[in-house]
Amino acid sequence: MNPEIPFVEHLPAERPEHVGVMQLSAFMGELLLKNGGEIYRVQDTLNRIIDACGFPNHSVYVLSNGIFITINEGMPDACSAVRYVKLGNLHLNNIARLNQVSRDICDGRIGRDEAYRRLQEIEKPIPDRKLSMALCCGFGCGGFSVLFGGSLRDGITAFLVGIVLKLVLYELDERQHITRFPTFILASFFLTLVSALCMLTGFPDHFDLIVIGSIMPLVPGYSLTTSIRDFFNGDYLSGLIHLIDALLVAFSIAVGVGICIKLISFMGGRFVL
Amino acid sequence: MIVHILLLYMRHIAEAMVSVIAFSMLFHAPKKEWIACGISGTIGWVIYCILHDLGCSLILCNFAATTGLTLFSRWMAAYRQAPVSVFLVPGIFPLVPGAGIYYTAYYFFMENPVKGSERLFDTMAAAGSITVGIIFGSFLITGVLQRFHIHRAGSAGKS
Repeated sequence: MNPEIPFVEHLPAERPEHVGVMQLSAFMGELLLKNGGEIYRVQDTLNRIIDACGFPNHSVYVLSNGIFITINEGMPDACSAVRYVKLGNLHLNNIARLNQVSRDICDGRIGRDEAYRRLQEIEKPIPDRKLSMALCCGFGCGGFSVLFGGSLRDGITAFLVGIVLKLVLYELDERQHITRFPTFILASFFLTLVSALCMLTGFPDHFDLIVIGSIMPLVPGYSLTTSIRDFFNGDYLSGLIHLIDALLVAFSIAVGVGICIKLISFMGGRFVL
Repeated sequence: MIVHILLLYMRHIAEAMVSVIAFSMLFHAPKKEWIACGISGTIGWVIYCILHDLGCSLILCNFAATTGLTLFSRWMAAYRQAPVSVFLVPGIFPLVPGAGIYYTAYYFFMENPVKGSERLFDTMAAAGSITVGIIFGSFLITGVLQRFHIHRAGSAGKS
């Protein structure tokens, strides 16, 4: 939420109540979209919140990166909000917490001030514990590499590559000017390079299985599922946005891996592949 | 019979469990749902393996696995009162065609477009059957849940 806009509830009382409801629901929708909620769900949640606050005359339209809300249309006190939201990273815990907040509002367990406070709490990013996240990534990569038929040695190598990959991703995240697709290209290039270097030691058995295991954290499984569920619920435009995102991410991974393989084969590293 | 399957696929189950739980941690799944995420992924992978061993095609394997996993996720979401994405997204990971992306890139960059297009088609087919599986599973479970009135009336988290 834009920090210059104070929450209406804390302003002098001449502001009408429904403006506060509108800002609360816009904030809620923004957080849901940012953390990777699907469109139908966001729209449904906002409708329910505004209904629960006692304003039946409203309309909500949500896109993958935008929210439009109008309350009391056609009345003298009509108001509306438009929010632009950037496509963010998936954060399942925040989605679950937001879901809980919306349940509590609709069941009348918490008031609007309390709800707003909890939303602000969710908005505050909790910094990741980088090392444990890298370890998780390593275990995931190693596990998948073994799952797809690799030997134990491949799994151990993929574990190391996964740790390096997560650290590289953190490093790339900190540089604001590197956008989404270069990040994926660079990350997949790096992981292929590291796997090739590991192959040189002669410890692992299969180059391909290590790379396949290690690209799993980058593969757009989440965009794909979200886009399908948007289509299923009839939100074709948002579904298309997510589908294109999934295709482009898959394409950038392929380019990153491919360029590295090409380089290796140019340098005469055929034995690695 | 279930015990037999469990024993036969013990190795797959353990591996799928570890990797899916690790990935659900990576995507910040809530702590109390980690095990359920792992089970969701394991169900999908075991169905895939069984059908694959029975000689079914790639498309059927992916479709059946995703349908089973979607049914489980939706049921779990209604039961634990959490959004369905929490179980669905980590569960789908073992099935997402990462290998397809790799081999497609490999063959195209190694100037073997015939094999490359073959792999590209397989990747697209796998993604497509996952799509249809999720839609089919959602469709099935929506009907079942409505029939037995498992949804809490008027709750915000209609999953």
